[in-house]
Amino acid sequence: MEFTLNSKTVRYEGNPLTRLVDFLREDMNLTGTKEGCGEGECGACSVLRNGKLVTSCLIPMGALAGDDIVTIEGLRETEQGKCLISAFADAGAVQCGFCIPAMVMAAQALLLADSDPDEEAVRLAISGNICRCTGYDLIVDAILLAAKRGKGLW
Amino acid sequence: MTRIDDRIQRVDAVEKASGEARYLCDLSFDDMLYARFVRSAVARGKIVSIDVPPLPEGYYFFTADDIPPEGKNSLVMIAGDWRCFASGDVRYVGETIGILCGRSRAVLKAIEESIKITYEEQEAAITIDDALAVKGGPILEKDDIHCSLVSEKGGDVDEILSRADRVIEETVETGFQEHVHLETNAALCTIEDGKYTFYISCQCPFYVRKSVAGLLGLRPEDIRVRQTTTGGAFGGKEHFPDVLAGPLLVAEYHLKKPVKLVFDREEDMLYSVKRHPSKVVFRTGLDSDGKILASDINVYYNCGAYLSSSYVVLQRGVFHANGVYNFPATRIHGYGMATNTFPSDAFRGFGAPQTLFAIETHLNHIARELGADPVEYKKQYFLKQGDETVTQGHIVEKVVLNEMLDQVASKSDYWRKAAEYTPGCGKGIGMSFYNHGGAFTGNGEQAIIKAHLRLVKDGDSFTILCGQTEMGQGFRTILRKIVASVLETDMDKVAYDNPDTDCVPDSGPTAASRSTMIVGRLAEQAAMQMKDHLNEEHWEVETEYEHPEGHPWDQSTFKGDAYLGYGWGCCCVEVEADRLTNEIRVTGIWSSHDIGKAIDELIVHGQVNGGIIQSLGYAAMEKMENRNGHFRQSSMSDYVIPTSMDFPRQEWGLVDNPYEWGPFGAKGMGELVFNGADAAYTDAVERAMGIKINRIPVPVEDLEGLR
Amino acid sequence: MVERCYVAASLDEALKIRKETGAHVLAGGTDLMVQFRQGTGISPVFPFPVVIISSVRELDDITAGDDGTVTIGALAVPARIAESQLVPYPVRAAAARMGAPALRNSATIGGNIGNASPKGDLPQPLIMLDARVVLTSLDGEREMLLDDFILGSKKTALRDDEIISAVRIPPVSWSYVFYRKIGTRRANAISKLSLSALMRFEDGRIADFRAASGASGPKVIRSREAENMLKGLDDAEARAELPAFLDAWNEALSPHAMPQYRRNTTRRMLEHFITSALEHPQSEIIV
Repeated sequence: MEFTLNSKTVRYEGNPLTRLVDFLREDMNLTGTKEGCGEGECGACSVLRNGKLVTSCLIPMGALAGDDIVTIEGLRETEQGKCLISAFADAGAVQCGFCIPAMVMAAQALLLADSDPDEEAVRLAISGNICRCTGYDLIVDAILLAAKRGKGLW
Repeated sequence: MTRIDDRIQRVDAVEKASGEARYLCDLSFDDMLYARFVRSAVARGKIVSIDVPPLPEGYYFFTADDIPPEGKNSLVMIAGDWRCFASGDVRYVGETIGILCGRSRAVLKAIEESIKITYEEQEAAITIDDALAVKGGPILEKDDIHCSLVSEKGGDVDEILSRADRVIEETVETGFQEHVHLETNAALCTIEDGKYTFYISCQCPFYVRKSVAGLLGLRPEDIRVRQTTTGGAFGGKEHFPDVLAGPLLVAEYHLKKPVKLVFDREEDMLYSVKRHPSKVVFRTGLDSDGKILASDINVYYNCGAYLSSSYVVLQRGVFHANGVYNFPATRIHGYGMATNTFPSDAFRGFGAPQTLFAIETHLNHIARELGADPVEYKKQYFLKQGDETVTQGHIVEKVVLNEMLDQVASKSDYWRKAAEYTPGCGKGIGMSFYNHGGAFTGNGEQAIIKAHLRLVKDGDSFTILCGQTEMGQGFRTILRKIVASVLETDMDKVAYDNPDTDCVPDSGPTAASRSTMIVGRLAEQAAMQMKDHLNEEHWEVETEYEHPEGHPWDQSTFKGDAYLGYGWGCCCVEVEADRLTNEIRVTGIWSSHDIGKAIDELIVHGQVNGGIIQSLGYAAMEKMENRNGHFRQSSMSDYVIPTSMDFPRQEWGLVDNPYEWGPFGAKGMGELVFNGADAAYTDAVERAMGIKINRIPVPVEDLEGLR
Repeated sequence: MVERCYVAASLDEALKIRKETGAHVLAGGTDLMVQFRQGTGISPVFPFPVVIISSVRELDDITAGDDGTVTIGALAVPARIAESQLVPYPVRAAAARMGAPALRNSATIGGNIGNASPKGDLPQPLIMLDARVVLTSLDGEREMLLDDFILGSKKTALRDDEIISAVRIPPVSWSYVFYRKIGTRRANAISKLSLSALMRFEDGRIADFRAASGASGPKVIRSREAENMLKGLDDAEARAELPAFLDAWNEALSPHAMPQYRRNTTRRMLEHFITSALEHPQSEIIV
C-alpha cells in the first residue's frame, strides 16, 4: 500500500488497523502531531488528507491507499506554513502549545478552501480543535492575520 | 533593546506552533520501558487478594511491597497522607495499587486486564452530605473532617443575627471541574550520572523530588527533576505529578532503565485530581432598610480521600468567602470533608472561585429580593484601602473597583440593559466582582518558601536560574522581558530554560499567582544588582525573598494580612436564552482587571481570555458527576469544555494600579481571571429566564428543573 | 484475539470478503476506531474481522433521479452532504452540525446509519423523510425503509453478507420545515435531543405533516398515528387538535435520561413549529 506523506511516497506493509497518529509519531518520528484524546474529540492530532482536515487517531493505515497526507512537519516547510506559524506567534495565539500544530493544520485547511474568511468562518473551521488555554480569540486573530498577510499564497 | 511595554513575540511560540517543541510524550530513550498503573476499582474496601498471572519475560509488577525497607509509602505534598500505593485497603476509585512495566504497551494492557483484585467492599461516602453524615463509618479517626478553620471580624455574629430584621438563608453549590490540559499527565524516570532523574510534565519540579524522595529513604537533593515542555496545567500538575512519579521511582529502584508513563485521556479524566466541589451555606442578617448587618458563612469542600493540599485550598476559600465586600460583621467556618472520591487538588483559583461564586450569587439574590439592581446593591459594600479583612488584617493597596465597574458598565451598556431586560424576557445581563490574593497566604513566602533566584552574566549574555516553569502562561517570556528591560538589553541575550533541579535554585512552586509578583520581583532585583557589574566578564547575583515589614500574620490563628496584594476583577456577561430549548447564547463578555501592571499585554490578553472561558465552561457546561465513587464522564465528548463557537469575542480592559512590591508594579493575575465570569453568567441567565440558580454547572437539562 | 483485517478496493471485493468472512465494514472509522481503541501506541483490536472500504470510490456520489429521488452513496461524508443542494434541508442541516469539521470529512452516512446510535445525527431527518436504505450483497440489492432497518439502539436488519451501499430519499415537498439539534455545546457536540418536522398545506388544509425525534428513545421516534391527527385539518381545526397531538407525540417518546428536559423541550419545539406554520409566514424554514 502506498500513499504520500509530506510530498514523499511511503510504502506501508504493517497492520492495516494501526492508527495513523501512531505511525506518524512513533514510526516516522513526526511528533508535531499530538494525541490529546484518541477519539477524534480534541483535534490535536489533525492532519490534512487530500487537502481536508482529519483526525489521525481515527484513521487506520489500511484506509490510506493513494492518499496525500500532510502533517505540520510538511506544512512548516512551505510558504503557507511559514506565514501561518509567524502569524500565530505574532498574534499571541500560542500558550501551552499542545493544540497549536493541529490548529495550524485546521487554519491551512480553511485557507485552502477560503482564502479570505471572516471571523465566523474561522471559528467554525477550528471548532473541532480544543484549546484549554487561550479562549480562542487570539487564535482567531492569528488566522485572520495570516489570511491578510498571505494574500495570494492560498 | 527590549522595553517592558514593547509588543513582543513569546519566546516559545514558533517552536510550539511548528511542532518542534518536545513534550514528554514525544521523548524516547534507548532501552525504554513503558509503565501502566493498576488501580482500585472500588471506592472503599479492604484488599482481599491481588492475583497476578505469571508475567512474561521482561515484564514487572511493583506494589507497596516493593518499597525498600528504608522507604516510606507516602507522597509528601503539603500533608503526607497520600499513599504512593494502596496497601491493605483502598480509599477511592482509581487509587494506585501497583505499576506494571515492560516494553509493549499492548502486553501491559493485557496483563492489567488479567490481574484480579478482590475486595471486601465497604459503604463509601461520596458527597459532602455523605461525609457530614459519616456514611459508612468514619474515614478518618472519628469523623470525616480533614481540616477546619474559622475566620471572623466585627461583632458577635450570632447576637447580631438574632436581632436582625430578617435573616436570609441560602445554600450555593459548585461541582467537580476537570482541568483538561490538552497534554495529559506524563512522566519518565531514568538514571543519569548515577542519579535518579525525572523528565516530567509539571508545574513544580522541586515539589516532585520532595514528595517522592522518602519512598527510597533518600533526600530530595538525591533526585533530579527536569521539567519538560508542559502542555497546560491549571493546577492539575501542581501536586498530581507526584502521584505518577512515586510509583515510577519505586519501579526505577528495581529496574534501572528508562520507564515512561503517559496517561491516555480516559485515565486523565477518570483518575486525576479535580477542583473541589463545594457547598456554601449563608445566613445573612439585614436591617429594615435591607442593609447587611452580618453574614454567617459555612463553607464545605469535598477534599476526597486524602488531605494532600486541601487545607490550604480551604483556607483560601475561607479568606475569599466574603468576596470584595466589607460587611460590618462576618464569620466564616470552613470544613474540608473527607470522602471516598479521588482527592481534590489545585485548580486555577485554588479554592477561591467556589466561595466567590457563592457570595456573588447570594448577594445577587438578596438584591433581587429587595427589588434592587444587583450591581447597585453590591457596590455599596466594596472593600476600600485600609478596610479590615475577614482575617482581621487590612487591605493594603488602593482598591479601584469603582473605576473598573464604570469601565465595564460603559462598554457593556449595563445600566440601560439591566433596566430594560425584565426577568424572563429572554435576554439577560449580569456582572460580578472578584479578587484574588497574590502569592502564598500570610507569611508563607517568608516562612515556607524562601524563594531564591540567580542571575548569571557571561560576556554580554545572561542566564536566569530559577525553578519557575512555563506551562503555557507565558512566564519564560515574562521573566526574560523583566530582566532584559532592567538591563537595557535584548531579550535574546537573556536565557531561561525549563528548570532542572540540579541546576537552579528553588524559587518555589509555579502556583498561587506568585511567579510574576514574587519571582519576577526577585529577577528585577537581581537585574538591578547586576547593573553595577556590567563591566565584569562573569558575574553572579542571587536574590532571596524578603517580606515587606509591618504586615503581621499568625499562621496558627490565621489572623493578620492574609495577602499584601490582590488582583481585582469585574466581568459582565450578556446572554440570550432560547425559550424552546434552554440553550444559552452568550452575546457579550466584558471585563476589567487590576493586575497592578501588565508586563506583557499580549500575554495578559491571552490569560484574561482563557481564564474567562474556563470560568464560563465551569458554569455552563462542564459537568463531572460521581456515582458510587466512579466519575461518569470519561472522555472529551461527555465532559465538554468550550470550543471556539461557544462564546463570542471578549472585550477586555485593565486599570493601572502599580503594586509597590511587584516587578514594574505587577501583581498576580493567572488565577484572578478565572474567579468571576461564572457568577456573571448565572446572573445573566437568571435574569433572562426569570429563574434562580443555586448550583453550577447549569446545562440545558438542569435549567429545565428551574423554569 | 487479533482478528483479520482486509482492505477492499471495490464494492465487489468488499462484498466477497464480507460474505466469506463476515467481516464488519470499516469506512470513516469515526465510530469503530473509537469503540475498539486500545490506547496510545496500540493498534485497535476488533472482536470480529473487519474490511476497510475507505478506498471504494464508487460509493460516494450524491445524485438525483428523474423522479426527484436523491441517492446518497454510503461513503458520502457529512461535509459534502451539507453542501449538496440536491439534499433536502433537514438532512443538510443535520450533516452540517455533525461533530466537528474533521469528523465531517471522515464520517460516512453509511456508518452513521449502520452504527444505529439513538444519538446519531443523520437517521433522524432521514427517517422523517421516509428515506430508504440500499443494501447490497453478491446476490443483488434490496431496499427497505430506514425506519424499519434500524431496529433499536445499535441494532439493524443488516444481513451478514450485506453492505449498506446507499440511502435514497424520495421526493418531498413542504410548505414549512424545521430542524433543531440541541448538543452538549454549540459545536463539536453529541446530540442531547433533536427534532425535524415538516408541514405541507394544500387548499388550506394540512396535506402532509411529519416529525422525527432523535435522542429520545432507543431509536429515532416517529409516530405516524400522531402525525395523522393533524392531516386534513384546516388552521382552526389544527389549533384545536394541537394539545391532543402534543400529548400523543409525548406518549411516543421514551427517553432514557433527562426525561423531563427531553419531553418538555420536544413539546415546546413541536408546538412552536406548528403554531408558527399555522401563521403561514413567508420563510419556509421555521427557526
